Amino acid sequence: MQGSALSTPATQADPAQLRAWLHGAARRDRLAFRALYEASAPRLYGLALRILGRRELAEEVLQESFVAIWHHAVDYESALSAPMTWMTAIVRNRAFDVLRHRRSTGEDDALDSAALASLADLAATPAERLQTSSEAQALADCMAALEARHREVIGMAFFHDLSYSDVANKLTLPLGTVKTWIRRSLTRLHDCLSARGAA
Amino acid sequence: MNLRGNEALRERLASEYVLGTLRGGARRRFERLMQDDAALRRTTREWSERLGAMAEFAPPVAPDRRVWRAIEARLHWQAAPRWQFWRHGSLALWRTLGLASSALAALLLATVLLDRPDTARMSDIASLLDAQQRPALVVTADRTRGLMTVKVVADVPLTAQQVLQLWAVPRAGKPRSLGVLGAKRELTLPLPANAIGADVAVLAVSLEPKGGSANPDGPSGPILYKGGWVRLM
Repeated sequence: MQGSALSTPATQADPAQLRAWLHGAARRDRLAFRALYEASAPRLYGLALRILGRRELAEEVLQESFVAIWHHAVDYESALSAPMTWMTAIVRNRAFDVLRHRRSTGEDDALDSAALASLADLAATPAERLQTSSEAQALADCMAALEARHREVIGMAFFHDLSYSDVANKLTLPLGTVKTWIRRSLTRLHDCLSARGAA
Repeated sequence: MNLRGNEALRERLASEYVLGTLRGGARRRFERLMQDDAALRRTTREWSERLGAMAEFAPPVAPDRRVWRAIEARLHWQAAPRWQFWRHGSLALWRTLGLASSALAALLLATVLLDRPDTARMSDIASLLDAQQRPALVVTADRTRGLMTVKVVADVPLTAQQVLQLWAVPRAGKPRSLGVLGAKRELTLPLPANAIGADVAVLAVSLEPKGGSANPDGPSGPILYKGGWVRLM
């Protein structure tokens, strides 16, 4: 059994290995699926926890996401996206579903300001950076080049499923300003990441 | 909205779609446009890869073990797969069968003893029966020397690509492979402790491709014979 990823789940799992496990899950290989879970669950749970802020909700989302991953593993096209990107999208979408439902029923607590503050601080320490993929490191570098408030706005939208007007309301900024910030930041990220990719 | 040829707008909408700020009707329209536009799907995927990496900014947290158990429950993995015959019925039934076959085992013992000069050392015997309750295999164990002998006593037609695989099925957990029997009708194998321990509910033989089951969890082919150990001394 490929034990290395099992024993160190916090470190970044090799995409080729994750892909192999995902293909195994598509062939109904339960051991491969279990290995995939062990290697990727801490990251995906960390994401769900960041979005939802509550353990029991994040656990439910993680559970539902892995049931979906098992059922849809056969639809995963390795040529089109990295395994972690594919699984991240599943977890994020489900977490947003829960978030929307809670907002519609008025259960959602106010946005966690501590979480936002930590998002704004993307200058991760070297020890932490070892655990992120090269894509995440590149993104962190490019985001660090943005203005702090623009970075914050991008993080709010990504992790909290907020529309332009939601962000504008939270930060008491004009809607047009928020739109401009986000669009300009996305263009800059594109240029910065493309430049790094080409380098 | 015509997106063709407007590269800046395509990039902008794809990025807003992935970030999540493209909402409501605009989001649904974008999804419809993607259906017929492979290039737009690719642009969106590229944005997924770029911004999806932001998920890693959230520090990893090990989930509680109950999450995995809940996933198994949701996938009905506690229920036995089809080939795990011993988990469908009650184990008591199999133990009864083991005892029922002990009478047969005793009958067979004579046959086995005839061509074994070292019968005095035989400590246990199992008679494995087919679906019609006819004896097909006899397994004898020698606890002192740590050996067991598997003997095919029925006519078992195997192709060159097929083998019989012998399993010890514990009361809990996965079956343990004890050995593989090809063209030879008799085989002596080491007797591991977990082949004959108190937790072994039944022995089973499955039909497998050459080399044995590729499934580390147990048999991959049909179960042909099964039966329980009987302690002789």
